[in-house]
Amino acid sequence: MHRFTQACWLGLSLLLLTAVSSSAFAQGGGFGGGYGPPLQVVPPPKQFASSDEHYAYLLEQANGGTKHTLASVPRWDGLWVTAGNNHMEAFIDTGNFGGKVREGVLTPAYEKAYKERWRQQMEQRQVDYDRLGECQPPGMPRFLLEPYSHEFINLPDQSYLINDFGPSIRRVLIGREHSNLYGTHSWYGDTIGFWEGDKLVMSTKYLYPADFTRWSPMTSNQFESIEIWQLKKYDDGIERLEVQATFYDRFAFVKPVNVVYAFRHATELQAADYRVNQWECDQTNNTFLDDEGISNFHLPGEEGFNDARGYTHFPELPGQSFDPIYNTTLEPGAN
Amino acid sequence: MKTSIKRLSWVLAATLSIPALAHHSFAMFDRDTEIVKTATVQRWAFNNPHSWLYVNITNEDGSKTLLSLEGASPTQLIPRGITGSTFEPGDTLLVMYCPLRDGRPGGGIGWAKLADGRFVSPADGGCNGNDASISRWQEWLKQGYTTSKEATAAGK
Repeated sequence: MHRFTQACWLGLSLLLLTAVSSSAFAQGGGFGGGYGPPLQVVPPPKQFASSDEHYAYLLEQANGGTKHTLASVPRWDGLWVTAGNNHMEAFIDTGNFGGKVREGVLTPAYEKAYKERWRQQMEQRQVDYDRLGECQPPGMPRFLLEPYSHEFINLPDQSYLINDFGPSIRRVLIGREHSNLYGTHSWYGDTIGFWEGDKLVMSTKYLYPADFTRWSPMTSNQFESIEIWQLKKYDDGIERLEVQATFYDRFAFVKPVNVVYAFRHATELQAADYRVNQWECDQTNNTFLDDEGISNFHLPGEEGFNDARGYTHFPELPGQSFDPIYNTTLEPGAN
Repeated sequence: MKTSIKRLSWVLAATLSIPALAHHSFAMFDRDTEIVKTATVQRWAFNNPHSWLYVNITNEDGSKTLLSLEGASPTQLIPRGITGSTFEPGDTLLVMYCPLRDGRPGGGIGWAKLADGRFVSPADGGCNGNDASISRWQEWLKQGYTTSKEATAAGK
């Protein structure tokens, strides 16, 4: 019986492998979904007019929050990768790539813009353009579902949420008030938070216009978020860092949008001794928007090509190659 | 044991259910066309946001063309057993790719067959390099096909 059960699980694994690898978009917006039990949105206890009001309510309910010490602050050590989300359900009636844009969720202007993106996705299996192709950072809310790898470092007075895409760092200041001295907004804005036991409650404001993904709605420069992060444990040793988020955007959303995101331990990356690394999109990116409005690439030898493994501005000096192990060139037929 | 197998099944499912990820659209690739070529590695750039395999192919007139093939990011490839030294300059490979629509010498890589006979898939969303694709192509290669259009036109 024991062997039979193991065989069943292995069979299920193979079935899942076959199913998911044959259809990359089987889980719309899933980004690693399928790890652990289905994600469930936990909406806020009531509707709020703004993220400020929402955050103030949660802070009051938590009696000002838990004052953690270095010894008591929850630890989310190690590498993490995304483990699903349900943001597509908020905007697509079926929640996946077979559906239609939900009407009345987005404001008319944003709904019209999103319908065009969705048309491209459905008809071409691709949206023509992705702003990240211009090396724009993911920003918020895209930070919450970008793949690559993540680290989450909690200290009593601040937390660092790191994604090696970009790389990107969100800094959560515990027990502080919002502040913006820059006279503009930014990709990750300003995030404050408090702990309620093992839950990290966050408020983020002052963000640039961004998007969820290229096949998802755009967001405006009035986008704000309330997030509640918590490490959840399930049967069979499943650990999942879950993020219950409420998004406010008076330009993009008719009413606040509630979404759940998740991360799981990146056991496969840790086993390979992977480390979050620094990389510069400008140096490694060769994407550009062509005359037809479609993303395309500069290739070696073409004007505009960035050689990520080329040389510094001082190639005449020894040791100035960005390919120090193999010292390759991109001259045709060199090997 | 049962728990670890069950957890492994979740991890495998989660790993491979990640949709085609990229910091750009894949609209530049003709994903309905798959081409197989024998190639020599010029450079394997295991870089973010995407890896690039640069290979030389020999044209009918004996000249060489540098083919630039885009793959997935290192974090996507490491779980597939691919690292920065999987391809080394001078290695001879069989590569399957989906070409750029505009005809320039580039594309999205699907899979590569290494000198030891192993198939690896550095693919991102630009071309399908999954197990089903490899199995299909193993049959097509036995029959001498080098493009998906030839094989499908022959009813394969």
